[in-house]
Amino acid sequence: MTKKTLCFDAQKCVGCYACAVACMDQNDIDVVGDGLMYRHVSHVEEENADEVRIVHVSIACLHCEAAECLDACPSGALRRDIASGAVIVRRELCIGCHACAMACPFGIPRFGRDGTMQKCDACYARTRFGYEPACAEICPTGALSYADVNEAAGSKLSRFGKTLA
Amino acid sequence: MNDLELKMKGKVPGPDTGIEIRKSVCAICDPGTQCGLDLYVKDGKIVKVAGTKEAPHSHGTLCSKGAAMRQYVYSPDRIMTPLRRVGERGSGEFEPISWDEALDEIASRLNAIKEEFGPESVMFFSGYAKWARAYLMRFALDFGSPNYMTESSTCATAMVMAQQLTYGAPAAADLKNTSCIVYWSHNPSATKGLNLAGINKKIESGLKMIVVDPRVTDIAQRADVFLQIRPGTDGALALAFGNVIIEEGLYDKGFVENWSVGFEEYRQVTADMTPEKAAGICGVSAADIRAAARMYAEAKPACIHFSAAPVVHHTNGVQNYRAVFCLIALTGNLDIAGGNRMNPPSLVHMPGGFPTREREFTGAQRLSDMPERVGSKRFPVWARLCNEAQACDVPRQIRTGDPYPLKAFFALGLNYRMWPGSQDFIDALCELDVIVDADLILTDSAKYADIVLPACSSAERREIRCWPMGYVQFSQPAIEPVGESKSDVQILSELSKRLGLGDDLLEAGIEACVEWMLEPCGLTVEELNKHPEGMWVPDAKPPAERKYLNGGFRTPSGKVEFVSTLLAEVEGEGFEPVPSYREPVLSPASSPDLADEYPLVLGLGARLPMYQHSRTFRLPWTRSLSYDPHADVNPEDARQAGIEDGSWMRISTPHGEVTVRAHVTRLVRVGDVHMYHDWPQANANDLLSGDYLDPISGFPGYRSSLCKIEPVPAEGKEADND
Repeated sequence: MTKKTLCFDAQKCVGCYACAVACMDQNDIDVVGDGLMYRHVSHVEEENADEVRIVHVSIACLHCEAAECLDACPSGALRRDIASGAVIVRRELCIGCHACAMACPFGIPRFGRDGTMQKCDACYARTRFGYEPACAEICPTGALSYADVNEAAGSKLSRFGKTLA
Repeated sequence: MNDLELKMKGKVPGPDTGIEIRKSVCAICDPGTQCGLDLYVKDGKIVKVAGTKEAPHSHGTLCSKGAAMRQYVYSPDRIMTPLRRVGERGSGEFEPISWDEALDEIASRLNAIKEEFGPESVMFFSGYAKWARAYLMRFALDFGSPNYMTESSTCATAMVMAQQLTYGAPAAADLKNTSCIVYWSHNPSATKGLNLAGINKKIESGLKMIVVDPRVTDIAQRADVFLQIRPGTDGALALAFGNVIIEEGLYDKGFVENWSVGFEEYRQVTADMTPEKAAGICGVSAADIRAAARMYAEAKPACIHFSAAPVVHHTNGVQNYRAVFCLIALTGNLDIAGGNRMNPPSLVHMPGGFPTREREFTGAQRLSDMPERVGSKRFPVWARLCNEAQACDVPRQIRTGDPYPLKAFFALGLNYRMWPGSQDFIDALCELDVIVDADLILTDSAKYADIVLPACSSAERREIRCWPMGYVQFSQPAIEPVGESKSDVQILSELSKRLGLGDDLLEAGIEACVEWMLEPCGLTVEELNKHPEGMWVPDAKPPAERKYLNGGFRTPSGKVEFVSTLLAEVEGEGFEPVPSYREPVLSPASSPDLADEYPLVLGLGARLPMYQHSRTFRLPWTRSLSYDPHADVNPEDARQAGIEDGSWMRISTPHGEVTVRAHVTRLVRVGDVHMYHDWPQANANDLLSGDYLDPISGFPGYRSSLCKIEPVPAEGKEADND
């Protein structure tokens, strides 16, 4: 069975931040009060001898299959949404212990003014009803997509194949 | 959560959630993209923003600016009522007044000035957005003033002039049908991200790409040849392209012979600019220049994607772009599919493949019977080619009264920090009797106005836009205007009545005006109203190729002018009829004495993707992505100055200084500093004087002057961040 998930292709990303702002809009993020956001865009300068390259990366929760945060959470605030596969947080159950933040290898869990954890939920409340996650829907270059991960990999593979040909 | 709660959380539209999608158009940047907006509206308020999937130009996508539309519309700084100034100009002390009081007061004061000093003493200015400009120009000319002017006194017009001088009218890159693109100073990932999905696909299928830019950009690193030139040397590079193309016989001899004048003089100028010589001027390799010139000349068809401002924001800007545009004619890529196409605009500067009466609507033909416009004497080429006044000359004329006094400034959107020597510009405006400004928010510039009028955003008004594929949208208001705000056209319409201008059409409102403008294409407002998301224009057709075959080019000679007839009529330095290369007025090569103290080349105007000038600075969502003013510096220059990445530094010029954070990056050349502009607390444009201008266009030389950098201790800086 194929299952859609958020896929990212760094070769198509131009670091425009549309995904980050669409996420803020979808989730009514209070960047001033809470001072945090769910999707981060970063720019990495790679230096070779004569050449400098810039690579952009858009990162939010990866919704890992074996999610360390889920195992670490002592209060049952984290759970998996079966339909979408997303790892979601119920902030009303969160005790703010930060165990998830310690367990997560990617630095995703963040804590706002009320001390509870906040992060991307892959817009499971949209995908349930046939709408795409806000970040994938808005992406102008197709770098972020809501797609079957194996199909997304296939398109990268064929591009790689062309570079070898 | 039950399904309804989940839908509410997901903002899923439907009768159960009460969320309705209303179609609109984003006008935060302007013009060229204007993405379709799906505004999710509940109880009359926007709760979410998305792109319109059926919009053929934006395909349901938006950029970070458009994505922040909700905060743009509901900014706490929105002006809710008309305001009358009660404090000093600039103090921001106002009292709310009614629309009747505001419009009556404006009308009586402007009419009094007209009576005493003549209508030409009142200036009518448009900043952003550009959608209402045709209406404002008509309004100004109705009033009797030739002094209709816009922010295009520093944007796009000079690029158009360089093309008018060379082949009569603008010729846009046909990206869709091309096999080779030269991006000549254009960074689509910051300003036209929409185009990139298509470009990426074309690169995969073998598109050749050349990028000319002083900075390493995303598009630059996808290029086959990237020419990272010193700012302001575009002309030398373009002439060297010409040198290679002519020397190697790669030019279109038939086209040049039949459809150009002055080729021999042009050939001589290019013969002098060998790739080796240009390499020394531009700071790139002669081998790369040769490779790029051959690639562009040999690919058929090939296009040059130019941009509105970067190349013409130099004191030698028009000549530099003229040298670039000569290449389009030289290689026979002019007005052919996949080359650069001359498609006439239909609405708001954009071609739509259908005829309109927008130009007639403006009444521009009335200008010939009016007094000379501001800037006409100082910028004679501008006066010959453009219908607007050159606003960079406003401070001079206010102070000298030459050739006549100026008394009032009526603006739809004003940002004084956009002008070179900004403080001087606003100081000069303060000498006027009357300043009126309409804007969404009480900007620092609006604080200088005597009367401020609340304007509304594109979500709250109707406006008509078209796109090159033959698509048109006459948007509907998606929500009620915030506060008592009104659309710019409604403001003009109501004010026209009170001024007694006798313009029945303008007074009848936007629907009547649109109906009038669209008459030649057969579209009606009734039909457009049925398609709030926009519609295909039934009879739109792509313009023919090689239109010059019937009637020639719109130049004095009717041909492509390697030697400009018009420039030959003007005396003075910088007006050479052949696009000769001159250094920027301030550069390490042209002013070496100054460069001893100010050794770095300063470029002002690079873009960040979340900002369109200052337009989204106040929105917490976009501002959170790049909070402090900053400038890009190469690691070598930073090390020499003792500046670390992220630390504060002072940028100084003979004219001023600003304090910004250093972004130390190899993406800029050694010797260059690139500062992002329009920051209220670090105004880049005050680093130049108001007369650092291109003599042809009057455009400021924002992109190349000289500066030095020094570290600034962090103490005391945090307080500036409020």
